[in-house]
Amino acid sequence: MTRKTSAFLALCATALLAAGCASQKEPATKAIADAESALSAVRDDAAKYAGSDLQNVESTLSGLKDDFNKGDFKAVVAGAPALMGAISTLKDTTGAKKAEAMAAMEKAKTDYGALSGNVGAMIASLQSRIDILSKAKKLPKGLNAAKFDGAKTGFEAAKSAMTAASAAAASGDYTGALAKAQEAKAKGAEVLQALGMPTG
Amino acid sequence: MAGDDNKKPAPGAAPAADAYAQVHVVAKGETLSKIAEQYYGDMMLYPKIFEANRDILKDPNNISVGQKLRIP
Repeated sequence: MTRKTSAFLALCATALLAAGCASQKEPATKAIADAESALSAVRDDAAKYAGSDLQNVESTLSGLKDDFNKGDFKAVVAGAPALMGAISTLKDTTGAKKAEAMAAMEKAKTDYGALSGNVGAMIASLQSRIDILSKAKKLPKGLNAAKFDGAKTGFEAAKSAMTAASAAAASGDYTGALAKAQEAKAKGAEVLQALGMPTG
Repeated sequence: MAGDDNKKPAPGAAPAADAYAQVHVVAKGETLSKIAEQYYGDMMLYPKIFEANRDILKDPNNISVGQKLRIP
C-alpha cells in the first residue's frame, strides 16, 4: 500500500467516525432532554419521599451529561434507556411512599382531632381544680404544698405541650401535633393523679 | 344536710358526661361544706360546688342523698 493510499484510508476512517459520532449527537441530545424532563416532573416529591433514590438517578444523569460534553454521544445513547428506567422506578417509589405518608398523615389528623378534644377537657378540669385549690386555706388530705406545687408545674408543662400541638396542627403537621398532644395527655394524667382526680 | 331519705334526687341529677369531671354521690349526713372540705381541704369553698351544680341545686343547704354532684 502506498503512503498516499494509507493517508487516504486514514482520512476516510476519520471522516466515517466523525459522521458516525455526529449522527449520534441528535439522539443523545434528545435522550438527555427527555431524561431531564421526566426527572423534573418527579424531582420535588422524590426529594421529599425518596431522597437517596433521587441522588442515584441524578448521579447517573450527571454521568451521561459528562459523556455528552466529552462528545461521547454513543455512550449517552447507550446509557439513556437504563436512566429512563431508573427515573420510572423513582416515580413509582416516590408515588408509593407519598401515598403511604399521606395515609399516615390522615390517620394522625383523625387521631389528633379526637385527642385534642379529650386533652382540652382534661386541661379545663385541671385548671378549674388548681384555681380552686389555690384559694383554699389548707389542702385536702393526701395533698401537701410540695405536691401541689409539683402538680402546678406539671400542669404548665401539659398546657405548653398542648399549645405546641395546636401550633403543629395549624401548620398541617398532624404527626407532630399528635405526638405533642400525647405528651400533654401523659403529663396531665400525672397531675390528675396527684390531685386525686379521675384520670379519664 | 343530706339524710332525708324521703327526698328524691333531682331529676336529671347526673352531670353532663365528661371523662375528667369528678362526681360525688351525696351520702347521708353530708353537706356541701363537708364535701368541699373533702375535695378542697377548705369547707368555705362550698360555693364552688354549688355554682357548678346550679342546674340541679336550688339551695346550697338542701342536697339529697344519692344526688350526683359535679366537683369542679
